[in-house]
Amino acid sequence: MRPSARAPYWVVGLVGLLALLWTVPVLGIFITSVRPYSETAMGWWRVDEVTFTLSAWKTVWSKYPLAEGLAASLKITLASTALTVALSPAAAYAFHYLKFPFRRVSLIVLVNAFVLPQQVIVIPLFTLWRQFGLIDNVWAVILPYVGMSFAWSVFLAKNFLDDFPGELIEAAKVDGCGPIATYFFVVLPNSLTSLAAMAILQFLWAWNSLLIPLLFLRTDEPMPVLLSRIAGTYEPNLDQQSAVAILTMVVPLVVFLALQRHFVAGGLSRMGLKG
Amino acid sequence: MPRQTPEALAALILVSPVLILFSLTVAYPVIETFRLSFYDIQGLSRPRWVGWGNFTELFGDPDFRNASITTVIWTLSSTAISVGIGFLLALLCSQAPRATYPFRVAFFATYGIAEAVSAYIWLGVLRSGDAGLLNAILGLVGLEHLANPWLGDTGTAIWGVVAAYSWTQVGLPLMLCFASMQSIPKSLTEAAFIDGAGPFSIMRFIVLPLSMPGLRVSVFINLLASLRAFDMIFVLTSGGPIRSTETIGYFMYRESVTQFKLGYGAASTMILLGTVVIVSLPAILKRTRGIG
Repeated sequence: MRPSARAPYWVVGLVGLLALLWTVPVLGIFITSVRPYSETAMGWWRVDEVTFTLSAWKTVWSKYPLAEGLAASLKITLASTALTVALSPAAAYAFHYLKFPFRRVSLIVLVNAFVLPQQVIVIPLFTLWRQFGLIDNVWAVILPYVGMSFAWSVFLAKNFLDDFPGELIEAAKVDGCGPIATYFFVVLPNSLTSLAAMAILQFLWAWNSLLIPLLFLRTDEPMPVLLSRIAGTYEPNLDQQSAVAILTMVVPLVVFLALQRHFVAGGLSRMGLKG
Repeated sequence: MPRQTPEALAALILVSPVLILFSLTVAYPVIETFRLSFYDIQGLSRPRWVGWGNFTELFGDPDFRNASITTVIWTLSSTAISVGIGFLLALLCSQAPRATYPFRVAFFATYGIAEAVSAYIWLGVLRSGDAGLLNAILGLVGLEHLANPWLGDTGTAIWGVVAAYSWTQVGLPLMLCFASMQSIPKSLTEAAFIDGAGPFSIMRFIVLPLSMPGLRVSVFINLLASLRAFDMIFVLTSGGPIRSTETIGYFMYRESVTQFKLGYGAASTMILLGTVVIVSLPAILKRTRGIG
């Protein structure tokens, strides 16, 4: 705890060592995927014999419907991210600046829905989607992803507007802009940082979720569902299973690592703390 | 009146897509789950009104009692472990904020991985026999007698799932607590040091109270996330062996989806929701008060 001018080396060394240990289990699936199963059956760390091979990466595409899985994941994730980012900031603007009936009560219900577990909505939604003929349709997953996101995304956008310069809004009003024009020409172009945070949170959540697509989709299942079906089966193909796991992980991980500063900021203001 | 209409109309145009979609996919299903919890629904036969019947049956159901106890163990231990490790790491990192940046990202990265993937990764750690990393390490340090089929043993499976889940969750408390600690003015700890305060007093009287905001939010987020957890349990153990890893969030799935007892499953979901609301009450009040 001694406040000192230079960084204590032992702290850096200790944290670095722990971080290394932390990532070892992840390293395991990368190594398993590029070695023949016969070598890693008793553990990927065995070095009795070490061969590098891409055979699992070549065969896994024909063994599992990966192209369809990746396409489904991309479709679901991009559509639900686009819809959340398109709809929430507009609603947040209206809640923040405009007067309309039931404004307060609908906002209170909306922003407090963040506590709801997915388990509370899935059964009635299943019945509803069956009536609409939406089972096994990607929209059966996209719509609840977007609907559930509003609880935090509208809150996040509204928190951002707390610090929005009021002079800009006033100036637009003086220039004769109506509320909708003010939103599109003044508020939206100046809200890009909050939109970025919102997009990352929704992208990761939509890509990584399991329960809703598990229940509502049959064919073209997104990657996490595909992985959950093959993980833990006793087929002797851990190399191929690991390849599927890596493909499931890599897209959100790249997005996450590239934009994690926004993620922390977004997470903080999503919880009502200023980032 | 003529001045009022355009504003209300504009608001309607901007807000209605959100409110319609929210009503359809969130509000209606929640109300419907509440309604279903008072019916006995077996497969395709006609729903029968049973009043509080499902709830009284739940309280007498040993499986539900087991799921409730598992939920408490799972929620409290995974929150304590995630926030505890996250806080300690944040404390270490705040001693060298710049140099430890890449390591913080490494810890945080597991939070960005799908739980299904993390579960698959941890299957490799907890696998029975020498093929599991944990057993291999125990063998390496001469503790092979402790080797165990971790996920196949009713006594240890829950701790295997808790460990895997905590591994995915540590990053967020780490980042939140770290942000709180960074906002403590350096002059405060320096002044205390000059006044002769030891590391323990600085920790107790300066760092801990001033990193409370981050710590409090971390505890809340982790409690909430683990109460609703499903993915990790589904992939690692499917609630087994012999329901030793079945939380209420998973019990609901088994009753509704695999047993088709929709009313019974809905009732257990309402109990989960009630628990979540009680835990979230301070946050709900804070949000509601913040709305002008």
